[in-house]
Amino acid sequence: MALLQIAEPGQSTKPHEHRLAVGIDLGTTNSLVATVRSGVSETLPDENGQHLLPSVVRYQKDSVEVGDAAKAHAVDDPLNTIVSIKRLMGRGIDDLKTLSHQLPYQFAETESSVPRIMTAAGDKTAVEVSADILKALKLRSEQTLGDELVGAVITVPAYFDDAQRQATKDAAKLAGINVLRLLNEPTAAAVAYGLDSGREGVVAIYDLGGGTFDISILRLKQGVFEVLATGGDSALGGDDFDHAIAEWIMSQAGLDKASISHSTARLLLREACKAKQALSDTESVELNIVLDEKQTWFGSLNRDTFNQLVDPLIKKTMMSCRRALRDSAVDKDDVMDVVMVGGSTRCLRVREQVGAFFARDPLVTIDPDKVVAIGAATQANALAGNNPDGDMLLLDVLPLSLGIETMGGLVEKIIQRNTPIPVSRAQNFTTYKDGQTAMAIQVVQGERELVSDCRSLARFELRGFPPQVAGAARIRVTFQVDADGLLNVSASEETSGVKAQVEVKPSYGLSDTEIETMLRDSMEHAGEDKDARSLREQQVEADRVIEALDAALADDGDEMLSSDEKDAILAARHQLQTAREQASDSKQLKQAMAALEKASASYVARRMNASVQKSMAGHKVEEFKSEESEL
Amino acid sequence: MADDLFSRNFFEIFQVPAGFVVDFDKVDPLYRELQKSYHPDRFVSSTDQERRLAIQNASLINQAYQTLKEPVPRAQYLLKLKGMDIDAETDTTMDAEFLMQQMEFREAIAEVRSNADPLDELDTMLSVLKNDLQILADKFNTLYTESALADAREVVRKMQFLIKARKEIDTLSEELENELL
Repeated sequence: MALLQIAEPGQSTKPHEHRLAVGIDLGTTNSLVATVRSGVSETLPDENGQHLLPSVVRYQKDSVEVGDAAKAHAVDDPLNTIVSIKRLMGRGIDDLKTLSHQLPYQFAETESSVPRIMTAAGDKTAVEVSADILKALKLRSEQTLGDELVGAVITVPAYFDDAQRQATKDAAKLAGINVLRLLNEPTAAAVAYGLDSGREGVVAIYDLGGGTFDISILRLKQGVFEVLATGGDSALGGDDFDHAIAEWIMSQAGLDKASISHSTARLLLREACKAKQALSDTESVELNIVLDEKQTWFGSLNRDTFNQLVDPLIKKTMMSCRRALRDSAVDKDDVMDVVMVGGSTRCLRVREQVGAFFARDPLVTIDPDKVVAIGAATQANALAGNNPDGDMLLLDVLPLSLGIETMGGLVEKIIQRNTPIPVSRAQNFTTYKDGQTAMAIQVVQGERELVSDCRSLARFELRGFPPQVAGAARIRVTFQVDADGLLNVSASEETSGVKAQVEVKPSYGLSDTEIETMLRDSMEHAGEDKDARSLREQQVEADRVIEALDAALADDGDEMLSSDEKDAILAARHQLQTAREQASDSKQLKQAMAALEKASASYVARRMNASVQKSMAGHKVEEFKSEESEL
Repeated sequence: MADDLFSRNFFEIFQVPAGFVVDFDKVDPLYRELQKSYHPDRFVSSTDQERRLAIQNASLINQAYQTLKEPVPRAQYLLKLKGMDIDAETDTTMDAEFLMQQMEFREAIAEVRSNADPLDELDTMLSVLKNDLQILADKFNTLYTESALADAREVVRKMQFLIKARKEIDTLSEELENELL
């Protein structure tokens, strides 16, 4: 909680206090919330005993329904009942062309790059719809556990790009949830399985959900889960099985895809889904579908036909498995376990094919719908500091390469996919015209060579560097990816030392202003003045900073600081204290905090290194040597 | 006073001597141990300043590890430590015989589709390539040890060519495999 109060890594600063943290699996079809109670990670049911919350939101003029209540209206009120919203997270207007056949909504004409769905409650973005799902889960956990939430680990498909991750984080912010970490779903599943076994080795996580597919290759060693490679397809899942069946029904029933209504489309999908589930238990399923008052279609679907319909989709997942194995430089034979995640792995055909590919029976002992939330809760509990004994660490990788546009619309890769994160890379750029004082950099994510084939993340405009002859300026741009897989860019002009101004224009995400507006519009913040809230937040932060600094100085200030250094820090502290008492706008407070941060930077770094070395000491030499001799 | 990661070179971070041959039995466990201490997940409840610092430290550890892990970045880094700038070599010409070989090799890759069993052929090419890379790596190690740095840099450039060719083979194998599915 506190500046400079560095606890032992992995420990809370207040070890005796249990801090309520949850894991949230924000799924395409269903969502779940889980927490650790009495040492056991378990999902939380609603008041009716239901663990799965359908990821469905229905908007009416004055009300919002989430879950089963909303799902009940999917057929009779399709335009106001939003399903599979995860597919739209971080997606832009341009993506609608490829996605719209699966999203039967009406989209508003808008100048923003973010699609807005027209509902009875006004236009809604994917972030807002997801925030409503998250709010429902937050409420469920706080009501069940009777305490306020400290934070949550929210899972995302490993294959999610920067825009999709950012959208997920924005949704959490909008729902008033503090995100401890965005965790890749497969990694979360591995955690759920990994804790009991205590084995060391390579694990493959095959995660086929409603709308996404992920394959991850992980190595578990020394209490570190190292993601070796991830791959997958962010637009492939069990829903596609349903679509394949629905299209088969349409062709069998002689229905024209273009002329059927939204509600018939929904009906067919629902029947297709039921048929798919039934085929896990029976060889053949009878279908009778009431198309309207006059017309009912009868037919039957057997396993062979079903397999033919879904095999091309399953084969697509195998291509991703192959690539992930290649990327991780791991042989199929080296894989110790295959973990199955996601409701779609209940499908027998999927289990058969995965088993055949890896030549071993996949693990299915934990409910594939719950395993991700259970793992996320375990990690949330550890991150919140409730589990000082567990020192397991999850090392993730960048799922998709990051690059920039160069001449001719080509991509120059800055950070390759599957690079362990956090990671930072700096790249130098120069001007091509005399007197040039600004330049634009297009950042993309993806594996293809052409910019047009990759996902555009943002445009950065660097400006304010001094005019020089062409090629003389050296603009150093630093790309920093944090542990959540989110990109941050900073830039400076090196010859003059001018910090170039970076203006980020997210290509698909929401701008800060848009989020601010949504926050203001949302219920819990209604009526509150933005500036007043900002000031109050800064005041709380200032108190935190001062309290922590005092504690740190009392602890080792005299030991670690020369008297000059200490005086400089105390002077900055005094300034902040004064600003805290007198400042009427948040800007002044921010400046005072930045000044204190600068004055204490070296002290903070020294304390962190000292603390880390203390935690590593002891086994630093001896353990590694013994391990070395074993190998 | 506590030791700062940023004041050490990549080999010092993992407590191994700076050289082309690296003892990964020592580096790998220390990598995990360092990440367990510095990773931002260990500082979730700390202040923004500390979290930024943790991200920087963990990024540095990752960068150092990735550099040591792969032969070409490792070789380049060794040369950089000796004061050689890898990027500032625009006027150097490559030896003609090597370039000729490379062109022929690339042509062979491009024409592999006309082969009866292209995947098998690519596998053969890959093992030839691996062998060539090993020879170059050994050569680099010798030259570097003898402090023949300019010659060592030439060897690194040749290795870069081969790595590019290997990427082409990988991409093509992937394409062919997908077509066969």
